[in-house]
Amino acid sequence: MKCDKARELMSAAVDSELTSRENQAFTLHLQECSDCREEFEEAKKTKQIIQEKIVRFKAPQSLINSIMGLSLSSKKEPSTSPLTD
Amino acid sequence: MSRTDQIRKSSPDTKKKPLSREEQLKQSEFQAEAIVHINALYNYALHLTMNPDDAHDLVQETYLKAYKFFSSFEKGTNCKAWLFKILKNNYINRYRKNAREPGKVDYDLIKDFYHTIKDTRRDSTETETDYFHSLLHEEVYMAMQSLPEEFREVIQLCDIEGFTYEEIANMVESPIGTVRSRLYRGRKLLRAQLEGYAKKFGFNTEKDR
Repeated sequence: MKCDKARELMSAAVDSELTSRENQAFTLHLQECSDCREEFEEAKKTKQIIQEKIVRFKAPQSLINSIMGLSLSSKKEPSTSPLTD
Repeated sequence: MSRTDQIRKSSPDTKKKPLSREEQLKQSEFQAEAIVHINALYNYALHLTMNPDDAHDLVQETYLKAYKFFSSFEKGTNCKAWLFKILKNNYINRYRKNAREPGKVDYDLIKDFYHTIKDTRRDSTETETDYFHSLLHEEVYMAMQSLPEEFREVIQLCDIEGFTYEEIANMVESPIGTVRSRLYRGRKLLRAQLEGYAKKFGFNTEKDR
């Protein structure tokens, strides 16, 4: 495998989306190419950083209520909603 | 919980006219399948609109539409992906066709968001001491926002929302190969942005090889 091809597979390798054959060839290439190895490590880390640092917001209660309202229009306020915790 | 239990649980308190049995079933299924994704949808809407009011409206419209067309949802497929697609289409119809400038970022808004959660999220899991871990949430967020939309979108759907390439390809209406290459290029761009932040704060990002 050449570096071009390895770069093509890079993101899928990061996301475990390679077929087993692709994975085998990719792993083999990394063993002999330090540039691609480094790039692969950086890509993995970038993904990890996004996952760690991007904060998830909770939907505001008013939005939850209005949506519960449209799907359960005749129901009283739910006392135990799976959405509020 | 059995289906009968679910229906009983969500049945109306008979103050208004009781709903038909069919409608009750639809509601309880909708609740179980769709409403559980509200936080993810809200976050997606926030990322797209960068405005809490717009995000609120967008999510509301999405659920309205989803409920109306719930019968077209194929059971057993990923409901979250289905909802995301509806939201995205809604977003395009509502904002893109109008004068709204895509990709315009309200930095004050981001700062406000992050101000409220700052410090409480300085993660305890961070053991590494390299420059990446010195980055603030808002810096990563701004780096994301600086990416061209086609890259930001796939990164968000993949890394934040955890969709598979196949699901993403379907959502962005492009082949899987395109998703792969956008992710590759997007992460590289993002990496460069983050290094920029790190350098600004005096971290040495050069490899000593």
